[in-house]
Amino acid sequence: MVKRKLAALEKVEADLTNLQHKIRRDPPSYQIEFGNQYHQYEVYRDILLEAPSTTEESRVISLHDLIGFVSHVADCYRAITKNFAQDLIGLLSAHHAVLEYELRDKIVGSLVLLRKKGIIDSSTLLNTFFSIRASTPSKSLRALLFQRILSELRNSNSKTINHRLNRTTQNALFELVTSDRTTPKTLWAVKLTRELWKRQIWTDPKSVEIMKEAALAENKKVIIAGVRFFLGGDKEREEAAEEESDEEDGIDMAQLRHQAGINKKTNKKEKELKKAAATVRKRERKKNQPHPLNFSAFHLLHDPQGFAEVLFAKHLQAAETKLNLEQKLLILQLVSRLVGLHKLALDTLYSYFLKYLSPRQPSVTSFLASLAQATHNLVPPDMLEPLIQKIVNEFVSEAAASEVASAGLNAIREICARQPLAMNETLLQDLVMYRKSKDKGVMMAAKGLLSLYREVEPEMLHKRDRGRDAALSLRAGDKKRARFGEEKAGEIEGLELLEKWKEDERKKRREEKGLPLDNLSDEEADQDAEDEAGWANWDAEEDGSDDSGGWIGVHSGGSEIDISDDEDSPGPSKRVKIEKDTTAEKEPIVANEDVTNIPKLSKLATTRILTPVDLAKLQELRAQAEVSKLMPNKKRQKQLEDRHADDPFTAEQIEGLATLSAKRTKEEKIAMARADREERHQSTTAKRKEKKEAEGKSTTNKEKARKKNFMMTLGKAKAKSKRSLIEHRKILKAHSERKKRGGRRSNR
Amino acid sequence: MSKITVAGVRSNVQQLLDYSNNEKKRNFLETVELQIGLKNYDPQRDKRFSGTVKLPRVPRPGMSICILGDQHDIDRAKHGGVDAMSSDDLKKLNKNKKLIKKLARKYDAFIASDSLIKQIPRLLGPGLSKAGKFPTPVSHSDSLSDKITEVKSTIKFQLKKVLCMGVAVGNVDMTEDELIGNIMLAINYLVSLLKKGWQNVGSLTIKASMSPPKRLY
Repeated sequence: MVKRKLAALEKVEADLTNLQHKIRRDPPSYQIEFGNQYHQYEVYRDILLEAPSTTEESRVISLHDLIGFVSHVADCYRAITKNFAQDLIGLLSAHHAVLEYELRDKIVGSLVLLRKKGIIDSSTLLNTFFSIRASTPSKSLRALLFQRILSELRNSNSKTINHRLNRTTQNALFELVTSDRTTPKTLWAVKLTRELWKRQIWTDPKSVEIMKEAALAENKKVIIAGVRFFLGGDKEREEAAEEESDEEDGIDMAQLRHQAGINKKTNKKEKELKKAAATVRKRERKKNQPHPLNFSAFHLLHDPQGFAEVLFAKHLQAAETKLNLEQKLLILQLVSRLVGLHKLALDTLYSYFLKYLSPRQPSVTSFLASLAQATHNLVPPDMLEPLIQKIVNEFVSEAAASEVASAGLNAIREICARQPLAMNETLLQDLVMYRKSKDKGVMMAAKGLLSLYREVEPEMLHKRDRGRDAALSLRAGDKKRARFGEEKAGEIEGLELLEKWKEDERKKRREEKGLPLDNLSDEEADQDAEDEAGWANWDAEEDGSDDSGGWIGVHSGGSEIDISDDEDSPGPSKRVKIEKDTTAEKEPIVANEDVTNIPKLSKLATTRILTPVDLAKLQELRAQAEVSKLMPNKKRQKQLEDRHADDPFTAEQIEGLATLSAKRTKEEKIAMARADREERHQSTTAKRKEKKEAEGKSTTNKEKARKKNFMMTLGKAKAKSKRSLIEHRKILKAHSERKKRGGRRSNR
Repeated sequence: MSKITVAGVRSNVQQLLDYSNNEKKRNFLETVELQIGLKNYDPQRDKRFSGTVKLPRVPRPGMSICILGDQHDIDRAKHGGVDAMSSDDLKKLNKNKKLIKKLARKYDAFIASDSLIKQIPRLLGPGLSKAGKFPTPVSHSDSLSDKITEVKSTIKFQLKKVLCMGVAVGNVDMTEDELIGNIMLAINYLVSLLKKGWQNVGSLTIKASMSPPKRLY
């Protein structure tokens, strides 16, 4: 009897799938059948509603199947099934806790299906899921709903950004996070936001605001989730984007086409080729698309000052925080990054550090890194002085271990790189003495400090420590002491070099043409022509040059003796000469009575537009000048100043050189030596073979012969041995003759 | 548009000045603004860019400036007819956020004497730097009026949450050549700041306060 029942069930199921196929083909003619099934569904549903917790197998299974069936074909009979979606939603939201789990999951799946078919809209779906997600006790259902919500949001944002949906969802999440700050239940909202941020679906300030609220929650888990988002979310997003682009890489169209031409043509090969071509085309299109506007989460914060203040006061300053050291460090990292990046004024932060700056403090390097990160040029030096003094007292002394001393020196250097005024003369001169230390880590850290001050404030160093360039520029008197709060006005670096170069070029050209050197009308025409040339196919040209991308790299990074010339007044003598030259040829300089004191700005910048070619030349000249040390080394100094403004500064960087001073055990040394070697030995032939295979090249005839199945060669070998002497001689003769001719094809 | 020429800029400036000075003269001094749209710029990867540059002419002569200074500087300021506040005046604000905000809003820029500037963050808190108006230092040896002109003629390019920005580069009282000089310098500086030069520039537009915009690029 049981058997028959099961068979009947199977039959029904088979019938349903069958019917579904038929309906898909021709909906109107199967309307009656569908009506019957729908009625069946309604009956089962009503029975279920009377006792929703039933687990009677047959009923649940048939309802399960019927729901699946109806939702698959619901779009064909919209009139009949107009209540279907609402029924399901009602059923799920009322009884999700007691429903049999397979049926429950089926209803969730059906709702997603109905959404795909456009029967319900995504906001209804998401609202339903959200409310159930928040209230259900079942872990598996929560996981399922999370998955569904995520994929729904992804799908609805895949073609174009669905602003309205995003807004409502974000508002819902924001409400969720802010309504009850103590529960860990809001963690999933943070997770969802982070996931969507990673996939670049949400890139707007509102999602950052959600995370901000999470970071200000009461619950530990939520706080840390929020903080981790700020510290790692952007990197995660970048990595995800890179991965995506990596997937598509590695298709060599030319090679594929070549292979398709050589190898046997099969349908499969053809399909593969087409597919590859499609992906390549898609990638090209993507490359040409405008880049998505992805600001980092830090830049999208609405009120960084307020955020940093509250974060600091609530989680770090307050006496009764339940956070452990690790969590506190995370928050400190976030606060200090905010302070450093946005140049916030948070006075209490610096005195907070004072307590933690001692070598015995666990993970003190993280504290040092955070302190350095929180320093910027608008922090009053008198706030930093006690901190530096404390670091010196605690870390940097002859008695201290070398790792400790080098960590301390590194920290001091990083702080001073951001705010050079925090250091006083005597202390600096003392610290610089450590460059004579026996220990490599300490020595290098001290040298780092020295080279920093050679660049920014050579006056503070002893005369003998200043180095040649700093001393020269000091004597020339063009080095002004930095003042607190001063922002240097920028200028187009190396413009005077470009100007000089242009002038030379022009003179050369005129000489070639045999024209007089000063002819105004000709000059104008000349310049116009030059401009035209400068803009000619500039797109292409720039493309070539920008991946080389770093004329900065010309300068060797950690060189001891650094050039440090003046910053503001660009080479007076040369400049004046040019001015004199140009005034004769071009229109008279516009009178400037009210701003006579302002140094005369370059004529070039105010009268001409720099063409792409000019810019390229400018870069080239700058690079040249930097090599020949004609130029002020401003770029490098700027690099020094805000090398970490956007990037986080980590404890590893503080430790950095300290690893040099640590004594290694024998095992470690062996391991290090081993690490340099390649993983396993491989013969040259094997390597060659692998390379060949990777390149997709075919085998030679020799290889084919060698690899040929033995059984296939057997017949010929047998025949050979049975040959008569005469036959054998004939063959040998033929062979030697053929050889003389140069092979069968005689291709001499 | 494929390129920008000096002649094109000149004609646009002429039209602009003609409109603002002859066609529709307003009752106030109109400021000329340079509006910039960027493209192909990834704010995360290319990091931030910000820069200040000093223009040959003062773009906004009507900028209001306040001196925060010691007695010497206050006397100098009074002599020059510029508003000034002493440290006692600042202490009177009592770190009151509203009052500081009001102060920051009242002036376009601040100049502080060397002796006082280190205390500014203590006295006023984050209010001024939040408004982007942290004072510029001036020492007793500097000429105050020079410093004021310098502050007035310095413009700042800063990228906020969007890929476009506007800076004041002049006013309609300037002569054509002066205005062109300012615009050129601003454009050239901007382009030299950008990693990919002109490839990062989407559009350049000049516009006086009440005039229709003129597209340069």
